[in-house]
Amino acid sequence: MYRWVDHTAEVELEIRAATERDVFADALAALAELLAVEGDATEERRIAVRAPDRPALLAAWLEELVFLAESEGFEPVRLESIAVEGNRLEAVVRGRHGDPPPLVKAVTYHRLTFEPCDSAYCARVVLDV
Amino acid sequence: MSELPIERVDDELWQIPPSARPGMRVPARVFADADLLAAIEQDRSLEQLANVATLPGIVEAAMAMPDIHQGYGFPVGGVAATDTPGGVVSPGGVGYDINCGVRLLALPLDAEELGKRREPLVHEISRRVPAGSGGKSAQRGVSGAKLDRVLEEGPRALYEDLRIGTAEDLHMTESGGRLEGAEPALVSPRACERGKHQIGTLGSGNHFLELQRVDRIYEESAAAAFRLHEGQVTLLIHSGSRGLGHQVCTDFVKRMDAVLGRYGIELPDRQLSCAPVDSPEGRDYLGAMAAAANFAWANRAAIAHRAREAIAQVLGQGAARETVQVYDVAHNVAKLEQHGGREVCVHRKGATRAFPPDHPDIPPEYRVAGQPVFIPGSMGTASFVLAGRPGSMERSFGTTCHGAGRRLSRTAVRKQVEGGELRRRLEDQGIAVRAPSARGLAEEAPEAYKDVERVVAIVERAGLAARVARLRPIGVVKG
Repeated sequence: MYRWVDHTAEVELEIRAATERDVFADALAALAELLAVEGDATEERRIAVRAPDRPALLAAWLEELVFLAESEGFEPVRLESIAVEGNRLEAVVRGRHGDPPPLVKAVTYHRLTFEPCDSAYCARVVLDV
Repeated sequence: MSELPIERVDDELWQIPPSARPGMRVPARVFADADLLAAIEQDRSLEQLANVATLPGIVEAAMAMPDIHQGYGFPVGGVAATDTPGGVVSPGGVGYDINCGVRLLALPLDAEELGKRREPLVHEISRRVPAGSGGKSAQRGVSGAKLDRVLEEGPRALYEDLRIGTAEDLHMTESGGRLEGAEPALVSPRACERGKHQIGTLGSGNHFLELQRVDRIYEESAAAAFRLHEGQVTLLIHSGSRGLGHQVCTDFVKRMDAVLGRYGIELPDRQLSCAPVDSPEGRDYLGAMAAAANFAWANRAAIAHRAREAIAQVLGQGAARETVQVYDVAHNVAKLEQHGGREVCVHRKGATRAFPPDHPDIPPEYRVAGQPVFIPGSMGTASFVLAGRPGSMERSFGTTCHGAGRRLSRTAVRKQVEGGELRRRLEDQGIAVRAPSARGLAEEAPEAYKDVERVVAIVERAGLAARVARLRPIGVVKG
């Protein structure tokens, strides 16, 4: 489950999910909403990222999706599979080729969190738009 | 909503004392009047400014201009000078859009003479300058540009290799359009990949091209030096370093975040990640940032070139040839400058250099008037041409504001304004509008911004810069 939080200049995303995997899946879904992705998934990308901790891994995950959208026009639709081990994430993302709208410039470390909360996981990330 | 204690220093300056929060090394100061301060206190911008005051080696104060608003890490409108050596450099203190800035062109005709050619000119500019942050439609950068040359030389590379721009354009650009010490090899392959087709593209968000009419002159002699007169048509270009700059910042926020422990640095916000100016990480960042800054100046030069092509198409070759560049200023950058008899690293994040008359770093033609500064308002209000004043050197490390400053979030403004209705309203005001999306147009509605006249009045009363001319929009091309 994710929601957008009011931010004067940028876009702040808050996620609360039952598992770590779902945090990453929700982050993908939020980005797809922001990019207004519509249509069937016809392509696939394998993504592998590393980071020193969970919050940075979430930022790295979103950065990779933003890069693919900007450089290849790859619009993410859904998470096919994901494995998170230690500081490494490997995933297969289903999506489509398009001309994603101009929105996210960068994924910031401002107030970045990803931690257990009340038998779930809570995360927050601010996107520079 | 800020709960930090803040005290009035004088009519235009407020201060959060270092005792307000653990870790603050210097005060946090804001240029504002009481009403603007009340608005500023509604978001997290003062908390962010207090965080900046914790940076190692920060000198005198963390400062903010009256257009301050909540950003990430640094607030937008923030200024911080750090000692060299001894202090840090923070990529977040420059921001992702390295050398985002504005360039003003002055056309050789008045709005009255432009007449019915206004709409075709706006259309032709929008047709020639690609907008949007990514995707094929936004990637039609100028062909033939050599990226390494651009990173090292800035717009001079485009001028020498492709005859884009003029020698006078280079002269009328902050730092001549080239920061010393640029290191193309330190710009990552991913950053190059993102930027390689984007030279001459506008970008998204609040980036724009605005056709304007000079509707008021405040200081005749400075306006004459800037080659501006009442009624004249001008074109303001607002863009930055595109995906290349965004990636450089991303790369170095991460790299410095990983070595904070090595330098014993503790921060209240990871986005403030930093390293000593004279460390390998600090030096590398300054080299990569300079390359990205040069790329941004080249980008604005290429956009100006495409705008001149549009002017040639609609108004004739003579009009394009006689369109001059008043100046080009950065508002997201870190520079090593002399202040108070020592070298400091001045971070300007949504803030503009505003050197006063006689400063050696401004073109000789402007030594009497002071450095030109351009303050975009919003697409339905006015923009201002200012000139730097001595107070900027005494009070704000040679800096003034950069815009009106956001007041409402994008979500909040979309609840109040519908894109189609806004377009009609602007056209009723005599402003031709081109925008890639109604949503993007609504997000940049005049309602989203503070009153630019008030912001400018404060920097003038504080002695940082003086009003020279006011510009009213007659056409807008949105990013």
